[in-house]
Amino acid sequence: MTVFETAERRRVGDARPVITELIDGTTVQSIAEEAWISLVGEEEVLVPLPAELPADVLSSWVDVVGPWTGSVVLTAGRQTAEELTRALLRESAPEVLEEEDVVDAFGEIANVVGGSVKAALPGQSALSLPSVGTSPEVRNTADVCRIDLTWRGEPVSISVQGALPALPVPHDPHP
Amino acid sequence: MRALVIDDSRAMRRIVSSILIGLGYEVRDAGHGGEALDVLNEGWVPDLATIDWNMPVMDGLQFVSAVRSNPAWRSMTMMMVTSESEHTQIVRALAAGAHEYVIKPFTADAIRDKLALLGLLPQEVVL
Repeated sequence: MTVFETAERRRVGDARPVITELIDGTTVQSIAEEAWISLVGEEEVLVPLPAELPADVLSSWVDVVGPWTGSVVLTAGRQTAEELTRALLRESAPEVLEEEDVVDAFGEIANVVGGSVKAALPGQSALSLPSVGTSPEVRNTADVCRIDLTWRGEPVSISVQGALPALPVPHDPHP
Repeated sequence: MRALVIDDSRAMRRIVSSILIGLGYEVRDAGHGGEALDVLNEGWVPDLATIDWNMPVMDGLQFVSAVRSNPAWRSMTMMMVTSESEHTQIVRALAAGAHEYVIKPFTADAIRDKLALLGLLPQEVVL
């Protein structure tokens, strides 16, 4: 698990929480494991072992809008995304996967993980439809909870990341 | 028995359909609430509809409300199958007229157990 902490971290009294105050990596991992067992297969294990993502990656994500606003982003190598799609579709997977199949299945995994993350956050939030492509940029490195895992020996990362830039640090007139 | 599987994810439609076919259902599917209403308007009214919440065009809650407003479709049992898992959302869906609620991720056993509670398991698979 990697939780980014920087000097941009909000100060006590600011109204906007950062994700690390609301959810931890252990919870995100537990959510991911449950989704994997249900969607990918009972025998499929996510191992909490970080590995470097390949150059050719695909991300899927859902946006959460509420007291905390950001995205739940699933990222894996494109080959891994295809394997996940086959595992998800099981016997109904076509012999040759189309891009649309991968986008749909990979997006649905982000949707299920994102829905559970949203439920773990305080207050009422809304969930977007899933998107698939290049991951949204990290706007505030203090507002990220990321876990790095491996599935079938291949790296998979899940990043719960804020959509808003860090709050400015007010100037103290009496230092 | 007939089931209509409504979900914007093709993968999820395949998963739910596969479970229901395994239980003996005749299954059709739809990618959103509007498509599902088209199926009902054709006269193909199922015993069960499984309904995702977040979908383009017409979401699951709008579909439930539309079905509830038509007395001809009153016999249909509606089961939300969705990643919306907060208590307030469950209450909203049940208040709108859904009969049951399954949270994603789910297992085949969870679907089967819910159908057993609803008395909607085809005879040959009733324990």
